[in-house]
Amino acid sequence: MPRWLVWSLATILLWGTWGLVSKIASDGVDAYTNQLLYTAGLVPLLVFVAWTVSKERTEGLTPAKKRSGILWAFFTGILGGVGNLAFFQALVTGGKASIVAPVTALFPMVTVVLAVIFLRERVGRTQWLGLLLAFVAIYLLSV
Amino acid sequence: MKAWLVFAVVALVLWGITGVTQKLSTNRISSARSFLWFCWAMVALSAVVFVFVHPQWMLARVVVISAVAGGTLNALGAWTSFRALESGGKASIVISLISLYPLLTVLLAVLILHERLTWMQMAGAGIAIVAAILLSLEPAPASVSGGVNGAV
Repeated sequence: MPRWLVWSLATILLWGTWGLVSKIASDGVDAYTNQLLYTAGLVPLLVFVAWTVSKERTEGLTPAKKRSGILWAFFTGILGGVGNLAFFQALVTGGKASIVAPVTALFPMVTVVLAVIFLRERVGRTQWLGLLLAFVAIYLLSV
Repeated sequence: MKAWLVFAVVALVLWGITGVTQKLSTNRISSARSFLWFCWAMVALSAVVFVFVHPQWMLARVVVISAVAGGTLNALGAWTSFRALESGGKASIVISLISLYPLLTVLLAVLILHERLTWMQMAGAGIAIVAAILLSLEPAPASVSGGVNGAV
C-alpha cells in the first residue's frame, strides 16, 4: 500500500473518531472546558513538531516572509479554536455527532468561495456542483 | 433555526476561512512550522478562555479522557494529512479521500452512541460527503484545508 494512502486512511480514522469522542465529552462538559482539555491533548504533538521545526533548514526564508507566515498560521489557529468552540457548542446544545460532523465537514464550501474572492482562484464545474450539493445536504440534515 | 445548527454553521464558516488563511501561511513557511504556530494559537486561546471563563472542575473520568483524546486525535489527524500530501499523494485524491472522515463519525455514532437518523438525514449525510469530495477537487487547491477540523 502506498504511504500516502496509509497516512490518508489514518487521517480518516483519527478525525472520524474525533467526532465521536467530542460528542461523548460534550454530554458532560461545557464547550469552553472542552476546549481547554482539547488543548491539553494536543500539547504532546506540539512538543514533537516544535522539535522537528527546530531542525528545519531555513535558508531562503526571509524574516519578513517568516513573520507573515507565522502570523497567518497564528490567525488560523485562533479561527480554528473559536470554530472548535462552536463545534462543541453544537454538540452541547443537542446536535447529534452523526449530523454535526457531516455539516461541519462542509467547511471547504466557504474556503472555495473565499479563494475565488480573495485569492482569485478558478472554480471548476465539479466544485460548483459540490457547493450546490452542500446546501442541499445542510437542508436535509437540518429538517 | 435550531441552536445546534447555528453553532455548526458558525464552525463551518470559521473552519472554511482557515482554509484560506492556512494557505496564505504555507505559501510562506513550511507546513510543519505553520502547524506549530497553529497549535500555539490554540494554547493562547485556551489561556484566554481559562482566565475569563470559569472552567468546570468536577468531571467524570470518561468526559476528561474523551475531551483530551479529542485534541490528540484532531491534531494527529492534521499531522497525518500533511504526511499524506508530502509522501507523494496527489492533493486532489488525498483530500477527497480524507473528506470521507464524517462517514466514520456517522458509523461510530450510530453503533456506539445509538444515534438514530431519519431517511432525510441519512440522505443529507451521504450528499454532504459527496459535496465535500466534489469541493476538494481541482482547480481550487485552497480547499486543502484539513482545516481545523481543523487543524490546518
